[in-house]
Amino acid sequence: MKKDQNIGSPNEITKSIPFLRMLVVYLVVCGAGVAILLMSFDSLMRSHDKKLTGNICSLVTEKMNNSIRYMTISAENMAEVLSAQGTDDLGELYENLARSDDGSGYESIGFIDEEGNVYASPAELAEFDKWGLSDIAKLADPVSISAPYRSGNTGHSVFTIFTNYTYAGGKKGYLFLTYPLKEIEEMAFTESATKDTEIWLMEAASDNVIQCAGPDSTSIGGWNNALLSIRKPINAEFQDDYIEWKNKMNQNVVTANVSYEIGKETYTQVFSKIDFMHGWFVVVKIPSSSLSSALQTFRSRVLIFLGVLFVATVFIFIISHKRETAEKRVLENLSIHDPLTSVMNRRAFDFTAKQYLGKNLKSKGEASLLFIDIDFFKQVNDRFGHEAGDRILTEFSAALRELFGEGSYISRYGGDEFVVLVRNADKDNINRQLELLQKHAEKIKPCDDPQEYGDFVLTFSCGAAVFPEDAGDLKGLEAGADSALYTVKKNGRNGFEWCAGNSAD
Amino acid sequence: MKRVAAILLCFVLCLSLCGCEKKPDEEQGVKPAPDFMPLTEIVPGRKNVYLIVKIIEGSSYWQVIVDGAKDGGDDFDCNVYYSGSYLETDWESHERLLDEAARAGADAVLIAPNDSVNLSGKIEEVYAKGIPVVLIDTIANTDSYDICYMTDNLMAGRKAAEEMLSLLKKNGTSESENIQIGIQVGATSSMTIIERLAGFFQYWSQFAPAAWEVIPDIKCNEGSVDKAVICAEELLKYPNLKGFFGTNNGSTVGFARVVKERELKDIALVGFDYSDDIAELIADEEYTVSTVLQKQYDMGYMGVASAVAVIGGEKPEVKFSDTGVIVVNKDTIDQEEVKNALLHN
Repeated sequence: MKKDQNIGSPNEITKSIPFLRMLVVYLVVCGAGVAILLMSFDSLMRSHDKKLTGNICSLVTEKMNNSIRYMTISAENMAEVLSAQGTDDLGELYENLARSDDGSGYESIGFIDEEGNVYASPAELAEFDKWGLSDIAKLADPVSISAPYRSGNTGHSVFTIFTNYTYAGGKKGYLFLTYPLKEIEEMAFTESATKDTEIWLMEAASDNVIQCAGPDSTSIGGWNNALLSIRKPINAEFQDDYIEWKNKMNQNVVTANVSYEIGKETYTQVFSKIDFMHGWFVVVKIPSSSLSSALQTFRSRVLIFLGVLFVATVFIFIISHKRETAEKRVLENLSIHDPLTSVMNRRAFDFTAKQYLGKNLKSKGEASLLFIDIDFFKQVNDRFGHEAGDRILTEFSAALRELFGEGSYISRYGGDEFVVLVRNADKDNINRQLELLQKHAEKIKPCDDPQEYGDFVLTFSCGAAVFPEDAGDLKGLEAGADSALYTVKKNGRNGFEWCAGNSAD
Repeated sequence: MKRVAAILLCFVLCLSLCGCEKKPDEEQGVKPAPDFMPLTEIVPGRKNVYLIVKIIEGSSYWQVIVDGAKDGGDDFDCNVYYSGSYLETDWESHERLLDEAARAGADAVLIAPNDSVNLSGKIEEVYAKGIPVVLIDTIANTDSYDICYMTDNLMAGRKAAEEMLSLLKKNGTSESENIQIGIQVGATSSMTIIERLAGFFQYWSQFAPAAWEVIPDIKCNEGSVDKAVICAEELLKYPNLKGFFGTNNGSTVGFARVVKERELKDIALVGFDYSDDIAELIADEEYTVSTVLQKQYDMGYMGVASAVAVIGGEKPEVKFSDTGVIVVNKDTIDQEEVKNALLHN
């Protein structure tokens, strides 16, 4: 059964807009929430990266410092012991010591006397000239350490520790011990670091670096320059951060960290000062993906969870809304329509007709109101029963819908009374429709058995009024139509009359 | 019928898959190293020394090493066979050549290892068989060798920096003047190049006046001379530019061409290796140019000499011998040592 859809109600007019608005607000709130969550998470990860990199750097630096401290203390102790022995002949002492191996890990030992003569192997003497090692010895206070260089004796990178030494009753010279750089490099290996962790020894003044650990094993132990190997690949927008970090190193700050991106990968880099190698620092560089892999996984899972939650919420939101809308429509139908005939009830009709007439009052449109009363309906009920009465009402209202349908509002005002607001004032046409209705009504029977209903013929009386000609509002129209209906009834029913006595029948 | 067709199709597919299978070398498009060839006259009864170089064909640098080894073979009375890979990255060929040398009964092996890490195992294996091993040009990550002759590139870089400071002073640059030096490298992964760069910075940070700055934007030409020219031109935008340093031949040629083309007579140029472009600038009195040469001839010659000595039971005094560098400029070009070095370049 087709229900009248041209019905407006305050609830209906505004029903879909709040939902969309709410959905948009929900999406915005969710989006903002996820963005804030992600930003907080990323910030947390960055600080976690820095902290962890800092910890690894501190650990490596501490190990390296301990290792170098051990070497320097060994050199100082040895110098103290040898000084106490008061040797006059450094050449003899050198020969004795060079032959012995006390297992302290150094590759060679030697002396520089007060006159600057070096007591060392021929290969080492060449290295003293080549690398200016005597000048580094003069910096000993009480210890100085050379930059790493390649040893002729072993082919390995080495560094030499110089310490003050007194001999022959107060002459001042230097004792030196040469260690393989590997001793320090190996300190860089730590269980805490992943294979992607790069650990460098870096000289602040020259930007030179020696790689101690990193993913490329061929580079380990080799020289490089940080401008080329570390700074150059960094994305342009992070260059200033790097420069600021490097400036802190130049200012001999104990430790500092920086985060930057190379391509799409984020790195955290920390330096820590090495106590006994002046101007040298340990630099640890770790990609965030390696440090935060566990957190990244957690982050991805949280994102997936939030995504699923979001989709589920929106789904439930939409489903609830649809259900609510359907329920509301059912309730609205129930409140608007007469449950027996499915035409509008009186309240809904009054509202709709007032709205329509109100609009038409402004636009100078026309309408007609028909008051229709089934003749002798009480007798139908009495003679054939209420069911037959209901059948009459249902079929009559169906005939009304069929004849006036789209262009009108139809309502059962009560009992056997119907009211129709036709959205035009074409009296001739309405008259024709009413004549057709009379023919329709004649075919409506209270039951299917002709013997039972016998000579029963359904008729109706109708009074009509025209808007705005007869009245400018619903109440006036109803009064006009009612008056015309009264006239029809007075004249014996089964007819229709227009207000002001314009009878068509 | 359908079953037969399916079996035939499978067979054809299998055949096509087999046809796709290639040997690793062919797969990478690398031509395998040739078999060993005699370098000297082969005299029965003489000791046999096998030389393995990084590039067997089309490299003047490696040809000089081969020349040195040939002269060494002649002077120290031994047979020298040689081979090498066609690409510096083809360490698998070196591995095969080491095996072949050992199988052929080599009395000593001279090798310029293509890969310091990957070849160390095979070098150890050969050395463990009692065959003396002499490394040339490049050191390996092992102690299983008798001696290594190569340029200490850190020191070579220091020499270049020393020369740069000297040229700048010669050009009349005052120590208080704010000037800049532009650098370009041929590759960022070459140990030779980056050690030279590190050596340059080491010396520069110790001895350069505070007002003399190295431009932090180090250019990389990736081995292309054309790109080297572009890199040089890009560095010209720095207003206080007074010096160029090229860490290898290609970079130096790029700088030399720009200096010549734009007549940059107030810019000091220090580079590596000897090319026609750098020779032309050195010969021109108006330009301030120096280049640093390796002594690769000595690597081959002294390598053979040491191999023969070790075969004879001698133990080298050192494990690592820096063959050193020679600085060529207007002042040194007529020196006997430089003339000799240029003969072998």
